Amino acid sequence: MVLEVKQPRPMWEILFSTHHTDIGLLYMISSITALMLGGGLALALRAELFLPGLQIIQDPTSFNRFFTVHGTTMLFLWAIPFAAGVGNYLIPIMVRYKDMAWPKLNAVAFWMIPVGAALVWLGFSDTGWTAYPPYSIIRAPGPAAEMWIFGLKILGISSILGSINFIVTILKCRHPDLSIMKMSLFSWSILSISFMTIVAVPTFAASLIMLYTDRLGISGFFNPAMGGDPIAYQHLFWFTFHPEVYIFLLPAVGMLYEMIPKFSRKPLFSYQSGVAAFVLLALIGFASWAHHMFATGMSFTEKTVFMVGTLAAVPASSMHVFNWIATMWGGRIKFAAPMLFGVGGIMLFFASGAGGVVNTALPLDFITHDSYWVVGHFHLILMGTVSLTFTGFIYYLFPLITGRMYNERAAQVHFVLAFVGVIFVFMTQHLLGLHGMPRRIADYDGTIPGWLIMNQIASIGAWIAGLSYVIMLVNLIKSAGSGKEAEMRDPFKIGEEYYDYTRREPHH
Amino acid sequence: MGHATIEWVYVGVVIALLTWVGAESWNVERIVEHVPAEAETIKVIGQQWFWTFEHQDGKKETGELHLKQGVPYKFELVSKDVIHNFNVPDYTILMDAVPGRVNVVWNLFDQPGEYHIQCREYCGFGHPTMKAKLFVEPQTAEAAGNATAAPAQAPAQGENATSTATAAPAGPPGTPLTILEGSSVQGSPDFDPDTLTVKKGDKITVTNKDTLPHTVTSGASPSDPNSAKQFDTSIIEGGATADIETTNIAAGEYPFHCTVHPYMMGKLVVQ
Repeated sequence: MVLEVKQPRPMWEILFSTHHTDIGLLYMISSITALMLGGGLALALRAELFLPGLQIIQDPTSFNRFFTVHGTTMLFLWAIPFAAGVGNYLIPIMVRYKDMAWPKLNAVAFWMIPVGAALVWLGFSDTGWTAYPPYSIIRAPGPAAEMWIFGLKILGISSILGSINFIVTILKCRHPDLSIMKMSLFSWSILSISFMTIVAVPTFAASLIMLYTDRLGISGFFNPAMGGDPIAYQHLFWFTFHPEVYIFLLPAVGMLYEMIPKFSRKPLFSYQSGVAAFVLLALIGFASWAHHMFATGMSFTEKTVFMVGTLAAVPASSMHVFNWIATMWGGRIKFAAPMLFGVGGIMLFFASGAGGVVNTALPLDFITHDSYWVVGHFHLILMGTVSLTFTGFIYYLFPLITGRMYNERAAQVHFVLAFVGVIFVFMTQHLLGLHGMPRRIADYDGTIPGWLIMNQIASIGAWIAGLSYVIMLVNLIKSAGSGKEAEMRDPFKIGEEYYDYTRREPHH
Repeated sequence: MGHATIEWVYVGVVIALLTWVGAESWNVERIVEHVPAEAETIKVIGQQWFWTFEHQDGKKETGELHLKQGVPYKFELVSKDVIHNFNVPDYTILMDAVPGRVNVVWNLFDQPGEYHIQCREYCGFGHPTMKAKLFVEPQTAEAAGNATAAPAQAPAQGENATSTATAAPAGPPGTPLTILEGSSVQGSPDFDPDTLTVKKGDKITVTNKDTLPHTVTSGASPSDPNSAKQFDTSIIEGGATADIETTNIAAGEYPFHCTVHPYMMGKLVVQ
């Protein structure tokens, strides 16, 4: 893994380093590995659902384990660590400091991830990534469920430590000449999600402990047989994980703010609007958690309050979209791979946002709730917007990290396949949900009109998207070793100052 | 921000749209949720992995629900173990059955026919097979005559199922097959004997000694395409018995299972 053309270094030096670029690189490599593994599970799930009955995964419990680990991997081992990796790589450069505020803490935060990942993967729990009690207390087999609980605990601590580091780096270590209203919007996105993380995640961390003692039988917080309430867990869980949706999303938004103006060869439409939308989203993200629970028997007033809270997040999100479109408007756009992925991500962001408004509208939620519509909806945001944008940013950072260029043609093929695949899978799943198919089922009744053909379209789409990511992996590995040397000042031939690549701090 | 006006207009339009969506939703949901006073109560009990229904007059059904067209029904949902979700997609009935709580949802069925009931909240191994059938029967005899063939059959099917499930079998008991107590727990001993050997023409009497409903259904699992082709007792309530006639079954080995708990498996050998 000698990635830098100019300074080849042995692998152990990267592994034991505390320098922010090395930690960032490790974060990115481990999260791309998780993306491939989690994607593999998704392809197996789609293969099983290609036909009714059980063929590939013979036993429903294994199917349940597959979707549990798929969800956990994609959210906690791909989306969050990748954003943390890019943040690690770029934030010290952007705020003009020599490293992160606490380099050793930074390394600790990273090295907790493989430990958490090992617990999740070796346990292979079947609780679903939400681990709703009482199932996760009284029925889920151990020690898988315990390993999942402790794995998530460690991943949660890791992301809190990382967030503290980011906040201190951005607020305290920023160069005195750089005012906070002059720093990049990507830094603003990392600052917002770091604050959200330290407010949101402790709640889930506490409920994990309660879940564990409930499983041991020494407490009954969520166990109705011991006077507890399973709905209490759902409130605690979603108080963390609805804001978490924005924690997944905002780094992608920040990355789009990096890429869109550069490839449009135009200055950003409005910096202030971007900052305002980040701050608004970070606040309003906390006002909508219970919209995941409309069907648990909430009172009409509760439902109304959380519907309003959810709708309130939409104007801020749409301000971002407006900003990007207004930036691209009239620009001389260069559609290199990063820009393609960025624009694709924006289009799907709009689609998933519109679907989200449908979920929010109370009477309509009872059609879509817990159906494949929901699966299609959140995958459209996580795969369509977040992952496609992250992928674009992988290509965007590639010359900066390796000093070499990736193969542009292969990257464009990757984009076309990934975009088409995503639309095939997740748009179809929206329709499947409207036809009444519940999520998380290993087997379905192929005689119900529409179910069979739509499942097959979705499976084919998933394989197309899966194939596209194999192309990316080959492209990255090959180009990192033998790609053309990038021209560091302007690798994408935009004709303007791309990024200050020349600035490097000495390694610790 | 020299060009802020256009953005303010845009944000204003978005907010106006959302306000309309919110107000309309609020209004519709308020009307939809109001349970009419004359609604008949049906108690719906969710359990791994079947549905039980209790009518207002005390009649109980498992796996099937018979309702009348044009009558408002109020469903009181409870669960005996984990969270389930009572869902009739054709009528947009959707509500969690949460242990320790009673959730209420109501509906009026305007079209006679047969509909799917399914579980929409992940509840473990048998979640995909946690289904039931809803039969909406026409209100009057005249309506029954006008209705299509499918709904007209529905009540007949229902009666058959009920009689197999609850009525004591007639005649002398046949070769015994016992469903042991506690067999709903995965890994516990279930059918006794596990491999039952009978002569062709012998009657088998299945006794359910468990507290939960079970079935004896031919085929290795519910997704077996030959499932229930050779024999099927349908639901046998806890403590009840049911008979299997082997006169029409060719000699050979037949795996069987319980459709409620598909990991309960046994084998029947017909000589």
